Amino acid sequence: MPEFLLQTIFNASYAASYMALIAVGLVLIFGVMGVINFAHGDLYMVGSYAVVFLYAGFGLPFLVAVAAGLIFVGLLGILMEIALFRPLRTNPLGGLIASIGFLLMLQSLVVLGFGLRNQHIPPVSQGGITIGGAFLTYERLGVIVAAVVLLGSLWLFLKRSKFGWALRACAQDREAAALQGISINQTARYAMFIGAGLAGVAGAMTAPLVSPTPFMGHTVIVTAFIIIIVGGIGSLEGAVVAAILYAFVHTFVTTFYDGVVANIVGLLLMLAVLVVKPQGLFGVRERA
Amino acid sequence: MTSDTKMKLSRRTLLASTAASALLPVVGVPRVAFAADDVVRIGFLAPLTGPVAAWGKPGLDGCQIWADWTNAAGGVKIGDKSYKVELVSYDDEDDAGKARVGATKLIREHGVKFIMMLGGNSWPGVEEIAARQGMLFSTLLPSDLSPSTKTLIAPCEVHPIYNVTGVEWLAANRPELKTAVICAQDDALGKPSVATYLAAFEAAGIQMAGPPLFFDPDTKDFAPVMTQLLAKNPDILCLDTCYADYVQPLCEQAFQQGYKGQIISCTLDFYQRIIERTSKEFMEGVIFQFPDFDDPALNDERINFRDPNKFFAEYVKRFGANEWSAVSWEYASILDLWSDAAQRAGSAEPASVLPAMQEGGKGKHAFGEARWWGKDLFGIDNALVGDWPVVVIRDGKARIAEFRSIPAWWDKHGDLLIKHMTDLGQMWNQRT
Repeated sequence: MPEFLLQTIFNASYAASYMALIAVGLVLIFGVMGVINFAHGDLYMVGSYAVVFLYAGFGLPFLVAVAAGLIFVGLLGILMEIALFRPLRTNPLGGLIASIGFLLMLQSLVVLGFGLRNQHIPPVSQGGITIGGAFLTYERLGVIVAAVVLLGSLWLFLKRSKFGWALRACAQDREAAALQGISINQTARYAMFIGAGLAGVAGAMTAPLVSPTPFMGHTVIVTAFIIIIVGGIGSLEGAVVAAILYAFVHTFVTTFYDGVVANIVGLLLMLAVLVVKPQGLFGVRERA
Repeated sequence: MTSDTKMKLSRRTLLASTAASALLPVVGVPRVAFAADDVVRIGFLAPLTGPVAAWGKPGLDGCQIWADWTNAAGGVKIGDKSYKVELVSYDDEDDAGKARVGATKLIREHGVKFIMMLGGNSWPGVEEIAARQGMLFSTLLPSDLSPSTKTLIAPCEVHPIYNVTGVEWLAANRPELKTAVICAQDDALGKPSVATYLAAFEAAGIQMAGPPLFFDPDTKDFAPVMTQLLAKNPDILCLDTCYADYVQPLCEQAFQQGYKGQIISCTLDFYQRIIERTSKEFMEGVIFQFPDFDDPALNDERINFRDPNKFFAEYVKRFGANEWSAVSWEYASILDLWSDAAQRAGSAEPASVLPAMQEGGKGKHAFGEARWWGKDLFGIDNALVGDWPVVVIRDGKARIAEFRSIPAWWDKHGDLLIKHMTDLGQMWNQRT
């Protein structure tokens, strides 16, 4: 039983890690730009296809493919900010609709380039660590380490750097930040690069574990929205805590009971949080 | 490439090649000419995209080989004329609504004479059209059969009933294995297959270490599923009829979580990739039901599939060895039965072909003589049942271990299968 429990904790930690990377990116984009980026799940998908293309296709080292995925998806984020979100900044629903259009374009491009079938990626490593009879592969451990390092670095960046302060200022009040001389366009570009890059790196790191498909972003974006609602829309800390909470609840219910019930429990968790604390676990109540 | 072997493209070579290409249709490769109206169209309505595409697209590829070979040999002779066979495909994405649209288009716009389907989730969308139009349909899943659709046949794959042969062989060859666990996606493919495995395990005296685990078809991370299964410490891990995209991560998780026991599965598509992601030792002895067609055992004289080894070689040449799946040969073998029946009937019309196909209650199944069967289980004798191969991974390669008789198992244990099918609501009269 202890090793069964430990194995479940390992499974949940992996799930929490990649979900946190995706959700934090989504929150960052929403917080700074006020845009609900429906294409975020597909940025995750593009990150995995970077690994399909560079690692499985061209044989580049896995970490090089992951880094390339991060940068490419980050740049894609900047492109979205400049071409889609900036022109529609005054339209409350403009960004949302543009992102839906963009996700359809991304999916179609990937279908054209790679086909519809699931992609096979050779194993990066078959090794792993055994603790108390439970096994954690290096591939999964890598996702956990990447999440800790990247989210830790992001936290330091936001708290200690000038650009981080600018991002936080914009997230709190864009107009007041602009009056203080902070460039809204520049901070929006940073937010999109970081937010999209986090989704890209999550996709790239998990690619060998999920057999990428052009439509893999669908379920991911639904889960990410549940997480950011539970955590409190706009709260980075909330997104991390909610990702951990959701992943552990979902994994434990799947393991000890049933996967379909786990999905229902995940939604009930969101409902319960909305009833008890409508602004989410770490959200701030808006003044009337 | 060395400089000696580099091909140099001179102006003269280019001109000569162009001229040769231009003349090829006039003087070139021998081929058969058909009049524009000497064409019989066959519909292919199966998932070509999505998680179930592995049981659609490779089948269409196999059919294309069949059609090319048949047309090159003069087509299908029906009555006094030879007809070219043309395949018309429609991607139903394993969805009933899309299958309904596809069936309507194939019948109305393309005038097809026969429609091959994977069946399962997509069949309910087509059932009413089949009954109304009298169109001849085939399914790979006899669990779609019911007395209300007399023109639906399961002439090749008697899924999931043939799974009993794998369990029977396992029990005979590894009697020390006493407990099993099973998982499947919660859908029209998974459930009847689970009922069949439960019956087969019970017949073989193998105890279930836990209830069947039905997982959400949207599952992306199979680690928790495998953790739950392995917590029961089973001798046998049964992967049921999980889709190809699930079997690979499930095997991978079993490997990573330290499972050392026996694995049995209905399919093991793209098993080379699974070996690549686990190990040859881990996959040694895994049992499933679908041979590679380069298997020497398929050269036996009782096999009715034409040139199985040559078919496999052609398939690998055109699409690659890694693209071969459980269904690569199946739809092609159905075309064999259809063309044989159409020739004997002297007509491609569904109303004539079906009686010719079922004449005498027997048929030439790909794996040997078989009988039209199924009334007790499906309410209609529209499934062609005979022997089925048990396939085992040996040294990284799938090999037929033995052919076993499905009817022989049914005669002894049919009541068990009916009991488990009823328990899971999978009998034809329980399905809605």
